[in-house]
Amino acid sequence: MASTDLRAEFLALSAALTGFSVFRLEGTGQTDAYLTTIGDIVGEATVDALVSVHRGLVDATGGDEAELQRGLRRELLSDAKLGPVARNLVKLWYVGTWYELPAAWRDTFGPSLRDRTFVVSPEAYTEGLLWPAVGANPAGAKPFGYGMWAKPPRIDTV
Amino acid sequence: MTEERNDRFEVSPEAASSIAYDVAVVGSGVSGALIAKELSGRGLRVLVIEAGPSHDLTVAEYETSLRRFYGAASKDNNAPYAANANAPMPRSTDTTKLRPGEPNADGYLVQLGPLELDSTYTRVLGGTSRHWEGKALRMLPDDFALRSRFGRAADWPLGYDDLEPYYRRAEFELGVAGEVEEQDFAGLRFAPDYVYPMHGMPRSHLDRVIADDLDGLEVARDGETFALSVRGTPQARNGVPNAAYDGGRGYRPVGAVSLHQAELGERCQGNTNCTPICPVQAKYDARRTLFQALGTGRVDLLTQAVASEVHVDPASGRVTAIDYQAYADPASAEHVTGTVRADVFVLAGNAVENARLMLASGLTGSSGLVGRNLMDHAYLLTWALMPEPVGALRGPLCTSGIEDLRTGAFRRQHAAFRFGIHNDGWGWATGSPYGDLEELVDRRNTFGPALRRALVQQISRQVLMAGMIEVLPDESNRVTVDPRYRDRLGNPRPVVSFGVPPYTLEAAAFARRLSRRLYQRLGAEDHTAYHPAEPGWVSYQGEGYVLRGGNHWAGTHVMGTSPRASVVDADQRSWDHPNLFLAGAGSMASIGTSNTTLTLAALCLRSADTIAKDLETAAAPVTATAGGAGA
Ligand SMILES: Cc1cc2nc3c(=O)[nH]c(=O)nc-3n(C[C@H](O)[C@H](O)[C@H](O)COP(=O)(O)OP(=O)(O)OC[C@H]3O[C@@H](n4cnc5c(N)ncnc54)[C@H](O)[C@@H]3O)c2cc1C
Ligand code: SF4
Repeated sequence: MASTDLRAEFLALSAALTGFSVFRLEGTGQTDAYLTTIGDIVGEATVDALVSVHRGLVDATGGDEAELQRGLRRELLSDAKLGPVARNLVKLWYVGTWYELPAAWRDTFGPSLRDRTFVVSPEAYTEGLLWPAVGANPAGAKPFGYGMWAKPPRIDTV
Repeated sequence: MTEERNDRFEVSPEAASSIAYDVAVVGSGVSGALIAKELSGRGLRVLVIEAGPSHDLTVAEYETSLRRFYGAASKDNNAPYAANANAPMPRSTDTTKLRPGEPNADGYLVQLGPLELDSTYTRVLGGTSRHWEGKALRMLPDDFALRSRFGRAADWPLGYDDLEPYYRRAEFELGVAGEVEEQDFAGLRFAPDYVYPMHGMPRSHLDRVIADDLDGLEVARDGETFALSVRGTPQARNGVPNAAYDGGRGYRPVGAVSLHQAELGERCQGNTNCTPICPVQAKYDARRTLFQALGTGRVDLLTQAVASEVHVDPASGRVTAIDYQAYADPASAEHVTGTVRADVFVLAGNAVENARLMLASGLTGSSGLVGRNLMDHAYLLTWALMPEPVGALRGPLCTSGIEDLRTGAFRRQHAAFRFGIHNDGWGWATGSPYGDLEELVDRRNTFGPALRRALVQQISRQVLMAGMIEVLPDESNRVTVDPRYRDRLGNPRPVVSFGVPPYTLEAAAFARRLSRRLYQRLGAEDHTAYHPAEPGWVSYQGEGYVLRGGNHWAGTHVMGTSPRASVVDADQRSWDHPNLFLAGAGSMASIGTSNTTLTLAALCLRSADTIAKDLETAAAPVTATAGGAGA
């Protein structure tokens, strides 16, 4: 089990990257599963690097959202090692699927046996954030009820 | 792992071989289950032989299939069902682009082309109905008379009015939700005061937005003008029962199949997953019918038994026995071969498997038509983004369609088609929403709140209109067997040749032009694109299209009026083998623009009447006076 600090920082990073609040992310019940999945595949050191870049940016930008976003682009998303992992983290939260890292990443930073495309668990799929993001339910789960499809979608504005 | 049997109705191979059944049915899909239910209900002793395991007769086992689907990285049609090399099934993911002269034997089907077919079926208890979508459309009166009305294909040996009472019975058995008032197009006739068992599924928000702009659009074709309108699609999915059904007696929906008490399946909840698995069992699947059949106490179920050979008495042509291979463990090829005997045999393995089994038994039919005239609908998908979010990915996959071009004088020139309006976004065409997420994150470099907003714009505005185009019977489209291609138990695999003629392509071109016009009228961004590298790509008059398989395998044992030009008669009885019925869509003489299941269900109910009559006649004490004519 990850330390409480790492877990909180992982959630904060995830919130910045996904556009969902920490509260909403926690509500999926998937935090530990995703932290473990990422750690197992890319190694603890890379996870630490991810969260510490984010922590540094939060400290440096002092609550300026636009600056934080800019920092994430400059230091995280365009980083050869961290960028692909960060993008995978976003997809993980959205659909519960770990996507095999790009070939160039594997060649440069070393392949991991567990790095292949897979769904973390049946719950990871149904708890994906993509569905609520677009006002839908995951296909095959969490239905809205009979006839609700006749109404316009309810989509939270962000 | 060795599978356990449900002792209540499952027989062992030894027991099955020792009993003389009235009727032996191969296959527990809609066709087999309906026939078993009808005949056992009339006191006959029936054996159902099923290649797949008896899984999913309990809610717990059903949950396992559901979780397998949730956890699968590829959510294709067969994702919820465990692979089984003893009773293999086609998967759409096996379909690859063919190179001329090189068959694709990677999957279960061996595909020769020229057109790659990504159609599938399922070899599990309940058959392909487990993952069918549930559209339950009647065929049109014109569809039964293509030769006399349009000079095309052949007329059926029966007409719409002959089948109409059986359509009503089929709508009862499958539990169809629909509104008769919406079905007043193209000469479709219903019995006076008839209503569907359940009210139509509510139209989706998307349907309404589309109807607002499209209803009344006039399309001219071959001297006729068709005013388009968006109509509700009848479907076999539990909704609100219609109190006026059955002369005011109403209809009681059938819920989840379970050996134990279960409060599930009463009403569709909008899971948007009818294909491949409905989580709450609101959608009809053949296990419901099978369960009712088993409830008579006169049906034995022999699962994990693959029918492998049909034996015929050369003198009388009668079928004497069917061999099957019974395996205890799907993970192992180990099996024993047994034999069933019965007075009447029914093959209900679906159009591909029926033909495969007949041909593997050396029974090509005196017409030589077994396996030929393979049909399927050709789907032309078109997709666009509506101006505003319309709530894609909600509700049953389709609640409405455009039916007005399903018949007309133009059928002399080109095929008929209908459009299904999809509530499930672009998934079928593009792999959305996964592909959209990948695109936005990996290539458009979107993240945070901007990603959420972009996803709404990219996904919730999606509409897909699927043109389902008629394909006529053609003897060169066929299922054959070839000893070089066998499955693990040594059974020959189906070898499929399929192509579509200009008659169908002309309709595809017309459907594409019409879809452009529809999207222009809706102010929708048309994103439809077809690439030559995709399976199903065809070029016609300088433009390229991708045709997708319709999963409506049919025609491999066509019915007709003579043994020379057909395999079965109007009752689905083999011309060559009087105690053999080839049941299912394989008997259809043409497929019009209706998904095949309601029609094959009607045909099977009709065959059940015939079989019951045959056996009653045979069993009746002889009281005829001299000179009495045979029945
Ligand atoms: C994705 C998809 C969506 C569809 N949607 C629709 C729709 O909306 N509307 C519609 O009308 N139709 C639809 N269909 C088609 C529909 O599913 C079929 O028409 C229908 O299920 C056929 O029923 P059947 O009983 O004839 O054959 P099947 O359902 O294929 O059943 C055949 C059974 O026989 C068994 N069997 C086969 N060979 C052997 C053997 N040698 N020995 C023992 N058992 C054997 C199989 O295991 C299976 O259980 C869809 C199909 C697919 C794949
Ligand atoms: S929409 Fe959902 S609940 Fe309704 S039939 Fe389809 S899968 Fe089942």
